[in-house]
Amino acid sequence: MLWTILILTAVGLVCAVLITLTYRFLPKEPESLKKAEAINANLPGMNCGACGYPGCFAYAQALSADKKVFFSNTCATVLQDEDMLAGLESALDMKVDKSALNKKAVVACSGNCGNVGSYTGVGSCKTASKLLSGFKRCPYSCLGLGDCIKVCPSNAIRINIRTKVAVVDPDRCTGCGLCVAECPRNIISLVPADTKVVFLCSYKDIRDIPGREKCESGCIGCRKCYKACPNEAIIWNRETAMPEFDQDKCTGCGECIAACPHGKIMLLSDVAKKIKE
Amino acid sequence: MNNSTSLITIFIGMVLINNMVLTKFLGLCPFFGVSKKLGNAISMGVAVTLVMLLASLATAIIHNYILIPFNVEFMNIIIYILVIASLVQIVEITIRRTNILLYNALGIYLPLITTNCAVLGITLINASAGFSILQSIVSAIGAGVGFTLVLIIMSGIRERLEIAEIPKSMRGLPVAFITAAFLALAFMGFGGLL
Repeated sequence: MLWTILILTAVGLVCAVLITLTYRFLPKEPESLKKAEAINANLPGMNCGACGYPGCFAYAQALSADKKVFFSNTCATVLQDEDMLAGLESALDMKVDKSALNKKAVVACSGNCGNVGSYTGVGSCKTASKLLSGFKRCPYSCLGLGDCIKVCPSNAIRINIRTKVAVVDPDRCTGCGLCVAECPRNIISLVPADTKVVFLCSYKDIRDIPGREKCESGCIGCRKCYKACPNEAIIWNRETAMPEFDQDKCTGCGECIAACPHGKIMLLSDVAKKIKE
Repeated sequence: MNNSTSLITIFIGMVLINNMVLTKFLGLCPFFGVSKKLGNAISMGVAVTLVMLLASLATAIIHNYILIPFNVEFMNIIIYILVIASLVQIVEITIRRTNILLYNALGIYLPLITTNCAVLGITLINASAGFSILQSIVSAIGAGVGFTLVLIIMSGIRERLEIAEIPKSMRGLPVAFITAAFLALAFMGFGGLL
């Protein structure tokens, strides 16, 4: 009996001494790791991997190298917790604007492409998209049967009666992303809530005269928006022959909106008006 | 049977016949958790092999020179847990301080292994088989290699399964379980090898 206690205590003691010795006498860890450790102390530590890094410590290491990672790969758990967020702010020496990380869903289609035939089947976009890739002429168009409406928990999506296209009301949208996963056409995306202009076309194929043969109001690649922008915020993507928007430079002046002959560009704050146009 | 053949027997027996995962059903948690990508599987396998080797060395010394002379073998589980946990801690600190690249590759796997039943399992198997220190080391390397082998096979299959057309209700873990069952059946075929 006595030996058992003594041996267990002795083994425990030796282990403790060995750990202490390693901790004391090994060379100190590099400076970058120390910073990462300070950041790691303010992370949830449950290694869920939702931020895109394999565990909280890897995320902390990425944060210590570049603060901006927090905005591209935001930790949602930290964002929900006031204390944790405050701790992380002081560790990173920056201010996080919570509202800037809010997202809004945008349906990138403005309709008008016309139908191949009339569809009278089940009223679900998923079913309709399986049949000859949908009844619309454009394969990247909104089918308007409202699968997104059914999943939206905040009742933010409506179908425009004239164009038969789903429109997300940015004021009601919470940015949960359920509709993004639901859409069989993959034309709904989450954009930062402070985005000024949105581009409402998802056509992805390379073509000679973009959009025109499929859609009455598709992007035709005329580059008028690109030329009109006074802030060089529009980058012309040669691969897709469509504009891309640099939201850091965009001031929301509206020059491109006025220049677009097909009304594809729109202020995010004006999207709600599309519900009842 | 001379000493060298018995070492080879122990090694092959641990890799194929008494495979940790598929025959002994130890270490199933990392088997399903870390077998989604080949790269992760290899890192995990290397980390487990390393820890198994060190743990077996330490516990074999303790078993042969402390537990048996004092006739307290019944304490092996609690002593082994203590020793393995401390050992992994020491290894983690050492890697972290000395080699940051290795730490980034193994970092998150080491704490996971601390309480892994495969690591505790191999030390207890060694103890109950009455292995000497050298035999323990060989059997630990064998078990680690076997674990890595199964993890690599499984990750290869699961990478294929990701792109295969599987009924929606079977995607992910269910089909992985079935795959594991078939793998276990296949490994039973090694039973008559030695």
